[in-house]
Amino acid sequence: MAIFPGRWVTILANLLVPVGILTFSTGFFPYKPLLPGLAIFDESDADVSPVFDKVIFMVVDALRSDFVYANESGFLFTQSLIRAGAVLPFTAHAGSPTVTMPRLKAMTTGSVPSFLDVILNIAESDTTSTLAYQDTWLAQLKARGDRLVMYGDDTWLKLFPGMFERSDGTTSFFVSDFVEVDQNVTRHIPTELAESDWSALVMHYLGLDHIGHKAGPRSPFMPSKQQEMDAVVKAIYTAMQQEPHLQSTLFVLCGDHGMNDAGNHGGSSAGETSPALLFVSPKFEVLGNTLESPVEASDDFQYYRSVEQADITPTLAGLLGLPIPLNSLGVFIPEFLNMWDSGSHKLDILHRNAQQLLNTVKATFPGVSFDPEDIASSCSSGAVSGIEGAQCAWFQIHQLSRKTSAEDAFAIVGPAFQRFSQIAQDVMSSTASDYNVSRLGLGLLITGIAALIVFPAVCQECAQSTYTGGFLALLVVGYGSMMFASSYVEEEQQFWYWICSGWIFYLHIKMTRSRRTRRSAFNWSSIATLGLIMSQRILRRWNQTGQKFTAEPDIARNFLPSHPLFLWVLVILTYVDSGRGLFLSLPTAFPRVVVLVLPALAFMFKINFVANDSPELLADSVLSWLEKSLKIVPLVSQARLVFGGIVCCIVLAIAMSSRSKTAPASNKLVHEALNLFLMTQSRATNIPVFLVFRIQALILIPMDLTGLEVTIVTLMMQYMTFFAFGGSNAISSVDLSSAYNGVGSYSVVMVGILTFVSNWAGPIWWVSMGHLLRSHEAVGSHNPAALLTFHTAMSLVSVMAACTALRTHLFIWTVFSPKYLYSIAWATANHVLVNLLGGVGLPALRKRP
Amino acid sequence: MASHSHVSSINQAGSPSQAFVEKSSAPPINILPSKLAQAYSYAHPILLLTLCAARFEALVADPVQELLADLPWLALLQLFYVLLCLPPAASPSADSSPASDAKAARSRSGKPGYRRKNSGKNVWAAVWAKLMPACLSLGLTFLATPIIAALLVMFGAPLTTHNYETVLCAAHMALLSASQLAYVHGVDGSVWKEVWGIARPADTVWGSALGTGLGAWFGAIPIPLDWDRPWQAFPITILVGAYIGYALGTLLSRTPLLYGKRIQFSSESEEEDEKKTN
Repeated sequence: MAIFPGRWVTILANLLVPVGILTFSTGFFPYKPLLPGLAIFDESDADVSPVFDKVIFMVVDALRSDFVYANESGFLFTQSLIRAGAVLPFTAHAGSPTVTMPRLKAMTTGSVPSFLDVILNIAESDTTSTLAYQDTWLAQLKARGDRLVMYGDDTWLKLFPGMFERSDGTTSFFVSDFVEVDQNVTRHIPTELAESDWSALVMHYLGLDHIGHKAGPRSPFMPSKQQEMDAVVKAIYTAMQQEPHLQSTLFVLCGDHGMNDAGNHGGSSAGETSPALLFVSPKFEVLGNTLESPVEASDDFQYYRSVEQADITPTLAGLLGLPIPLNSLGVFIPEFLNMWDSGSHKLDILHRNAQQLLNTVKATFPGVSFDPEDIASSCSSGAVSGIEGAQCAWFQIHQLSRKTSAEDAFAIVGPAFQRFSQIAQDVMSSTASDYNVSRLGLGLLITGIAALIVFPAVCQECAQSTYTGGFLALLVVGYGSMMFASSYVEEEQQFWYWICSGWIFYLHIKMTRSRRTRRSAFNWSSIATLGLIMSQRILRRWNQTGQKFTAEPDIARNFLPSHPLFLWVLVILTYVDSGRGLFLSLPTAFPRVVVLVLPALAFMFKINFVANDSPELLADSVLSWLEKSLKIVPLVSQARLVFGGIVCCIVLAIAMSSRSKTAPASNKLVHEALNLFLMTQSRATNIPVFLVFRIQALILIPMDLTGLEVTIVTLMMQYMTFFAFGGSNAISSVDLSSAYNGVGSYSVVMVGILTFVSNWAGPIWWVSMGHLLRSHEAVGSHNPAALLTFHTAMSLVSVMAACTALRTHLFIWTVFSPKYLYSIAWATANHVLVNLLGGVGLPALRKRP
Repeated sequence: MASHSHVSSINQAGSPSQAFVEKSSAPPINILPSKLAQAYSYAHPILLLTLCAARFEALVADPVQELLADLPWLALLQLFYVLLCLPPAASPSADSSPASDAKAARSRSGKPGYRRKNSGKNVWAAVWAKLMPACLSLGLTFLATPIIAALLVMFGAPLTTHNYETVLCAAHMALLSASQLAYVHGVDGSVWKEVWGIARPADTVWGSALGTGLGAWFGAIPIPLDWDRPWQAFPITILVGAYIGYALGTLLSRTPLLYGKRIQFSSESEEEDEKKTN
């Protein structure tokens, strides 16, 4: 076999993969033209007097509609306001992705944020996601010379730098904090309500979302938190009634998104997309909108009337007398039209809304004419939707307004304006997904070529063993075809569990056939595979993930928290095992005892972290006493100490390997250091998984697998353990809890690396293990790079093909796009960086000299 | 499982795999030569599949009740099938088809385990010779049930819930697979060792057993789909997969293409090397 051409082909393929990803992404994630600048009133705009001059905008993170409206709600005062008619309640539809930042963008700009905002939400960089240069109702207020104040989630401060006169941002490092994050907001309310200099008071409460993440919507903390929020509503409403300077204030209470039954969000289930939206003011009582409240809980979470979240922007603009922000796709909520007495004012509001929407439509479709003369002929077809529908609706407005007199204009032209606005909103929301199909095809082609050029090398590998090759084919074809079914994408873990048990069965057959084991220890081989499949079965149940069975009880979220003693015994065992591993991997000449300090430090850090992140796991055991005595050292320094020690170990390992023939020993030391690092980056309830890994490794090492089999085992274990750690193909399952370990001030690179490591801990461990297993094996000619590249390229090709073929599918933004983002992470971070550079490249380099 | 690729792999490796076949292992089994046995052996898997289809709705409605109620009937059907179509464990090789006669006789000569001379004239002895393995078969099937249940759990069946379903599913699978193996091979240790190592040569008995297992494995595929159909509940697809696998296995492994072949690894040359060095 010609080694050099093969190697170059693999390198070329791995260069092609990122190129393919880039090409595909530019076609897949659409760039939407944004109108720059701030909207101003036209000369022609009639002067409509504003209904309100101030706004209190209170966001309660993850305030699902039923938390306010349903029978079991704690919002008793708010419900009494609904009955009194002082509230106009809605269910606001929050589009996917249902995470905070894109939702805030939707509520302030009125636009539909692009999918890329999700990534930006995770990598909350300070500059890229800012709305400082976009038109929002806050910018409009600011431009008018008004003052704004803000308390709560500091996402607002990142989105609107320099916007607020006074502010106090809260960060959410620990979701276990239910109390302080909210007290930090509430304590400012009395003083701000007494002040009269602001015209917008923004509050963003995080506690309810934290409770959801921690314990779900049915948590015992939920009712008291709702009552606490209700008390805030009561305090504000009372002030609005009593304080003279708040007489003309609009109070908006809303959630940015909802939550699913597990208390998470990011996807598009009914619970996640249905936050509550309430407009509160004593002035609304004149409308006579007294509604029944509370109401029966419903499964679809739709209470009262459903509106779009983007509709908040034009409605606020109309009520506050502001120009509608340029890029808004919202439709004025018609219930508020009756706040004006004169029909011409009402019509003006609708006219402004329609005109502004027409401008955005024109900017997006520069080739489409809205000139009445041009449309007249083409409108005979009677299209009711799409861009033609918008044209026709505009033409109708034109026709009607010419015919009718000024008095009854609102009654006749008003509905036509509303109809146009509605169609324009639909058209514009769907153009957010306007794909560049040729780019998609090109990206697919490039990635396909990458897969094709490594294919001969893979065939050559598989020719050694027909059944292994067949199994690999089953894996690649099965995985690829799975990507076209949304439920298989959501339940990807099932595939890996399934194929992994099949592979262990294969190993079992192989073991019983092997001459050596058959003669000497028939029983040992059966026990070995039994041990493997049992440990695999335990991992499978460690974290229930996916969509369908995610709420079922599992080990990490149900069993261990209710048996803390068992959990901590396992965790301590894992740390002891890690210390043992480190100790044994050092040369005897070295003062080996010193290294035991490292796992002890790491354990201390973990206890302190758990005390902050999930104190319920510690309860009041001996460990909590230990934690209290250690509190003096800040968490960041503790983490840095551990990371420093791990770096020292790796430096030592490199020194050892350059010294002499102790390559296997140095590899072992690197593996042990990595093991400890990954434990530090994992949740406490996942730490015992590393003990299970150790057992699996102990079983696999004496099996004498061939190079090809090692590669397949580690490939499968990488994917399987990713899901066993609780990962899934949903954005909401990204675990950010360990992303800030040892990070003092925010840094995209550091937080990015730590986030990747804490979510891909299992895969990274198995790459390292694969490296150790390979050093055991006798056959040295095997090069795993080609096979790994082939699998990566093939899975990318299938995901890309699925995204291209199903680009009009209902679930494209909720299932397939997140999967594509995950595939990018798998292909670039896990495959290129970890697998190739870490697992294959470094050892190859070391062998050279 | 054994396929063309296997054949070619033997050729490539210069037929070292023959050395791998254990001398003491039982040869592949044939259906008894009588016309009735031959005819029914084809009808039986189709009959089982038809019954499975007929009772499908009841199975979806109440899996535990239905599986339990079907169990005695399935046992009777399987018993009838093995008594009519298969050679019992103790029978002399003359019972198997003439084609493999000589080979069978040779390889069985040294076979340990349950053996008994059958005069062939005494009717009672003949009945006894069949009844005894039949009882043994049922007994072993009973023993196989917990093993299969444990394997089902290992392969992902729920452990904390659905226990009745798992055990009953295992009982059905045991009746499909183990009952025939036990009737034909009795307590022959070398055969069961081969079964454990998936090393039996393909025949209708082993094919049906392997097919049952593989069918159950593939039966898990529709469960994660979000179709929200009641039949996606735990034991149903697995069990239907097992029945289909049984039927395919028993019919396909009789064909000349597969008959007598074993699942083999083409990297057996490695093992040969080991053997030489030892």
